[in-house]
Amino acid sequence: MPESALADRAETATAAPQRGDASLVKNPESAFDASRRRSYRVFVFPAVIVFVLILVLPTLFTIASSFTSWSGSGAMTFVGFDNYARMFRDPKFLVAVGNTFWIVVGVGVLVYAISFGLTLVLQNALGRKAIRSIIFFPTLIPGIVISILWGFLFNPDGLINGFLRIIGVVDPPPWLGSSLIFPTILLGMTWLSVGMYTIILLSAADRIPPEYYEVADLAGASALQRFRYVTLPLMWDVVSVTAVLWCITSLKTFEFLLTFSSTSGTLPDTGIWNLAVYSYAAAFPAGGVANFGASAACGVIMLLLALVLTILVRRIMRGDDIEY
Amino acid sequence: MSIETTLLPLAEQRPEPVGRRRRRGRRTGIRVVLIPFAWSLAIFDVAVLLWVFLGSFKTTRELLFDPWGLPASPQVQNYVDAWNSANLGAGIFNSVVLVLGCSLATILLSAPAAYALSRFRRPSAGMLTVVLVLGLGVPAQAVFIPLYVAFDRIGLTDSVFGLFVIYTGLAIPFTVFLLTGFFRSLPKELEEAAALDGLKPGRTFWTIMLPLTRSGLVTVFILNAISFWGETFFAIVFLRQETTISVSLLQFVKTMQYTGARWDVLFAGIVLVLLPLLVVYIWAGSKIVEGIAAGYGK
Repeated sequence: MPESALADRAETATAAPQRGDASLVKNPESAFDASRRRSYRVFVFPAVIVFVLILVLPTLFTIASSFTSWSGSGAMTFVGFDNYARMFRDPKFLVAVGNTFWIVVGVGVLVYAISFGLTLVLQNALGRKAIRSIIFFPTLIPGIVISILWGFLFNPDGLINGFLRIIGVVDPPPWLGSSLIFPTILLGMTWLSVGMYTIILLSAADRIPPEYYEVADLAGASALQRFRYVTLPLMWDVVSVTAVLWCITSLKTFEFLLTFSSTSGTLPDTGIWNLAVYSYAAAFPAGGVANFGASAACGVIMLLLALVLTILVRRIMRGDDIEY
Repeated sequence: MSIETTLLPLAEQRPEPVGRRRRRGRRTGIRVVLIPFAWSLAIFDVAVLLWVFLGSFKTTRELLFDPWGLPASPQVQNYVDAWNSANLGAGIFNSVVLVLGCSLATILLSAPAAYALSRFRRPSAGMLTVVLVLGLGVPAQAVFIPLYVAFDRIGLTDSVFGLFVIYTGLAIPFTVFLLTGFFRSLPKELEEAAALDGLKPGRTFWTIMLPLTRSGLVTVFILNAISFWGETFFAIVFLRQETTISVSLLQFVKTMQYTGARWDVLFAGIVLVLLPLLVVYIWAGSKIVEGIAAGYGK
């Protein structure tokens, strides 16, 4: 069974012949392998070329342009680390870093806690299939739609406050006021993401052979212990792969913040910016001159974060791979 | 590490009857809290959907002041307005073209690559797969400026075709990632038999291997289609006059600040965006769920 770590998976995908393989030395390549070798490039090239043009070259160019002062048209002048230095002195950027952290770590912990809880009880609950398919649906809805709805639900006179008034809350909180808007958004993101991670964890839990649970029951394990000693260890690699996925996707959160804009037109309030919005705002400011250098620098920071988070998560969550 | 050693701590805790009873209490405790929570989450999701659907037939007044009531007279006009004045008609048309075109192009590019990478045993294949999959981690913010500037020079900004090229490129890492998993599960004997029959690798792939992974291809097609359907970032960066559903919705929300809130029209628009998703989900929901689970599972 291959580990589902991305890199490991790729390596096991191509079980290269052992270098010390005697047969390889003796036999020249078979006709079968030779014809495959010839067609290998034809198969792989188109995808690789598009990939390089759309992802690799632009990334390299972004890294280069983050060291320049540039407004898109006109000349690029080399300014060294000036963009980065300026950015780290910019209070808007520091807020964006903090918010990004809250989204990746705060919402992440919440999403996993809820998904674990749901996995724990849904594994053998009545109507689990129905619950499963219903809570997954929000995952498919465009982020922009979800955030419009979320904003409407939490309006001062929206549905949530209407409901709170019905059950007797006299003065419901101003959810979209400057102090509460970001927690409200975090809550919305949690709601949006729980379905997806519950589905993945549940199906990983479903693959666990039932004998293990029988052993656990014989030992008198409670539901929590069953989860702690059977379910969790046996789906640990799936947890770790999805944790990487979470870090990468939540880092890019953009749509959800975009519709919560103040009256200032196109961009949301700086208080709820994350790095993705900061980068966009630097390149397409509501007023003033485009600063592609700063936008690129922010993009590079995000790229580094994605890399560091991936390595960190894999490192922290490296468990023994349990064969079953 | 074997499962036995994992379970050892359990086996050592030979519970006394008293302890067991207490534990059973805790077990029900957890279930008592979490099962209602799971149900209320599901009910909340369904309620929101139903409420949006009902709301799309109300007037804005009804939406704001009588959110729980039924519409006095169904406002079909909301849908007409959403289609025309909110410019959602054009957005839906473009998004449908984009979704179908990109999902197909992505598969045409990625499937042969995933096949060769997972089965041809070339020395470079492992590294190349890793590089392609690492593309998953590249945020849009790290590529959009060069793409915008380059596309601007060749006149591909504000064009649906330009967006098509970008989406197709962006979807390659995920598609290769999922498809290598599907291709790896196929038996090797088929290819050898085909080669003995004198089929070239290309023919073998198109006529034998590709049809065998049909379910995987459909899953990837749908998953990509769903993510293109709602894509916002590149759409608002690249489009000016042209529009997609996300751009139309966003612009309508922005104009509401000046022209007064037309929540009823917005809700009709949202229903138009959700309906295709709902249809696809009812038709292929299990496929989507299985595909996602297979992609991140073993």
